[in-house]
Amino acid sequence: MSLDTEKRHLAALLTAESSDYSRYMATPVTESLTDEAAWIKRAQCSDSSAFEALYRLHIDKVYGLCLRMTGNVAEAEDCAQEAFIQAWNQLSKFRGDSAFSTWLHRIAVNSVLGRMRKAIRERERILAVAENTLEPVATGDDDDLRDLSEAVGRLPEGARHVFVLNAVYGYSHDEAAEMLGIAAGTSKAQLHRARRLLAQQLKQQGFEA
Amino acid sequence: MTEENTTKENMAEKNEDKLIAAARKLSTDISPGRDLWPGIAEAIAKPAPRRSWARLDGRTSMFAQAAAIVLLIGASSSLTYVIVKGQQQAPITVPSTAMIFEQTSFANRYSLGPGFEDAHSALANDLKIELARLSPEVRANVETNLKLIHGAIFEMNNALEQEPDNILLQKQLLRAYREELAFLRRVSGLTRNIMMRNDI
Repeated sequence: MSLDTEKRHLAALLTAESSDYSRYMATPVTESLTDEAAWIKRAQCSDSSAFEALYRLHIDKVYGLCLRMTGNVAEAEDCAQEAFIQAWNQLSKFRGDSAFSTWLHRIAVNSVLGRMRKAIRERERILAVAENTLEPVATGDDDDLRDLSEAVGRLPEGARHVFVLNAVYGYSHDEAAEMLGIAAGTSKAQLHRARRLLAQQLKQQGFEA
Repeated sequence: MTEENTTKENMAEKNEDKLIAAARKLSTDISPGRDLWPGIAEAIAKPAPRRSWARLDGRTSMFAQAAAIVLLIGASSSLTYVIVKGQQQAPITVPSTAMIFEQTSFANRYSLGPGFEDAHSALANDLKIELARLSPEVRANVETNLKLIHGAIFEMNNALEQEPDNILLQKQLLRAYREELAFLRRVSGLTRNIMMRNDI
């Protein structure tokens, strides 16, 4: 378990006011799932401290997804925040048919898409934001992957969304298509497009995978 | 397709596969630069936003008011009907008013059709006389209901002046007029029944 993950789990446990976190640290995966299920149940009963524990457990992945999809720190923060607020409001609808993280990611994707739709109506504002965000965002990637990460950020919106969900987060075309509200065939086509565009960009930069 | 082209395509595909493999190594867990929890905590501490007519713009609020008034009228006039019916045993027939409204039109000038106008003025003229025959308690009840109906009609006409083409408001106004007419008929039928019984 990475240090970051360990710290996150610890923060989640402390938030949930559990004293026995050493036990949790010893066997993180199974305990994490058990705790997560308990936190979900408690959060569904309007326990905000349990929800904070869920937030601490999932924020990095949710924020990462939002950042990769928007390519903008401020937008990603807003989307992640909005996603968790939406998740809180819709918690009663979570039945456990999918993993909580998948459910949360779906909400986050919706949040990103919703904000982007709004952003079209606020074109000027977004253009201003875009001008201010030409600098690459910090994603914590290894040095040898930084070029790829930046190239992903420069992809056109549709191709970027599919690439992030499919190639980076490992969702299938069906899952990505469902999240994005597009056909699976479109998802495949967008991935193909993304791969071609990335290969072109990176070739120019002499990228070696 | 030449052999050279095929080789180029194969190489391109190979590179793209490498690219996908590299993409899998990109971090999926990225910590935000600041703690987002305080903002979330503040938002979830407030009650969940419910779809409230009253919270929407003034137009919709007017809708809600009109709809609520019409519902109130329905309930209130039914109550009067029940009270009044309890006092009188003779059957009361309420004729259908559907035909009366066939020529109804809205927009800048409201017209409820000649049928309605005739029926309305005839019943309104009789009402004063017939009300005198009712007990003070029932009369007060009838007058309260009529005030309510007239208030609703006034409000809806005001709203329609601002939005003459609003179908929902038009329907609500029509319904209020129907209620008024039906109510007048009930009162009128009731007093006629009293008169008939007195005559006997």
